[in-house]
Amino acid sequence: MSHHLFLLSPSDTPLYSLTHFSAKPSQAAQSPLSANLPSWSTSAFAGTLTALSGASSVVQASTQGGGVRMGGGQDRHVIQMIANASLDVIEEVVRRDNGMYLKSVDKFNEWTVSAFVTPGNMKFVLLHEGKNDEGIRLFFSEVWELYVKTTLNPFHTAHSGIVSGVFDARVRASARKHL
Amino acid sequence: MATSSKQYKAIGEDLWKGRTEKINAELFAMTYGALVVQLIQDYEDYAEVNKQLEKMGYNIGTRLIEDFLARSNLGRCADFKETGEVIAKVGFKSFLNVTPTVTHSQPPPASPRSSTPASGQGQQQTAAATGSQPHFTLTLDENPLAEFVELPEEAIEGGLWFSNVLCGVLRGALEMVQIRVEAQFVSDVLRGDETTEIRVKLIKYLEEEVPVGDD
Repeated sequence: MSHHLFLLSPSDTPLYSLTHFSAKPSQAAQSPLSANLPSWSTSAFAGTLTALSGASSVVQASTQGGGVRMGGGQDRHVIQMIANASLDVIEEVVRRDNGMYLKSVDKFNEWTVSAFVTPGNMKFVLLHEGKNDEGIRLFFSEVWELYVKTTLNPFHTAHSGIVSGVFDARVRASARKHL
Repeated sequence: MATSSKQYKAIGEDLWKGRTEKINAELFAMTYGALVVQLIQDYEDYAEVNKQLEKMGYNIGTRLIEDFLARSNLGRCADFKETGEVIAKVGFKSFLNVTPTVTHSQPPPASPRSSTPASGQGQQQTAAATGSQPHFTLTLDENPLAEFVELPEEAIEGGLWFSNVLCGVLRGALEMVQIRVEAQFVSDVLRGDETTEIRVKLIKYLEEEVPVGDD
């Protein structure tokens, strides 16, 4: 089961992204669609493409080069499309909800999008399959702490991409622990 | 007055607790960090930034020593070793609330080299060989100036000593009590080393002089 994390600045610039492959067994399959996939296609891309067949040529053209990768590899463009699409939903939920952790705000085939909005209006977007609310909430809290520490580094320019190796290593460790 | 190391610790502890104004550590670290980053942007040369930090420290040190001596009421140190102890246990403790460990290194007392006038020049040249000049090394376990700091690659390659202001402070303060020293960073955890160490080397004891610029 894989997870995609995106950290976005208030102006929706991606500051950091991470793909994490979880060793934990995936939770009960949410979408019957994945069960209907032909056995040769193990990637979510294939499932998404099936659903999108006949959809806009933009998506297909951009995903042509990707192909089907074994072992759970997903096409980057689809992932990013899903993440971007969820931003609108996140904005809506933020207006309604007061807390930081927004749980799952959007679903797309078998991908669920969970979001976390910090007081500084940074959005953390996580794409994942299956259900793992508690683990994801703890993960988001840890990422938030790590993010705050990185921002305190005088060499970090606010709202620029996060290049710190320490941050990267710690986020990965946290992902391994909670996801 | 032979004050033992334990007594110095007690004095330092006492000064920190009772007689100093405190400031939020994060604010302090962020201010210093912003200062260093601004210097880097202005000078664009890490060696120059090091020099400027040291100069700033020197100016701070010349004033700091008055404050320190007024608060602590300590008398003259018997030798350079004691100077090192006082700096670490009382000075650093009362200003930064950290107590670096001091490692002394002194020339052997019966060294023929240091007493022969003919080899006076040789001694100056071999000053780098630590056997001839007394020095002590301060090892800082924690550095309040460098909380949350991560140096970018170019800074490490460029040779930046982030906390170089401390070296300047030591040099400035000691010069006001008639001791000329050279203080340098030897290693820094920000640069990936194991420890943060400052080496303070005695150059000479100064005679009473008219300070430069005062007429």
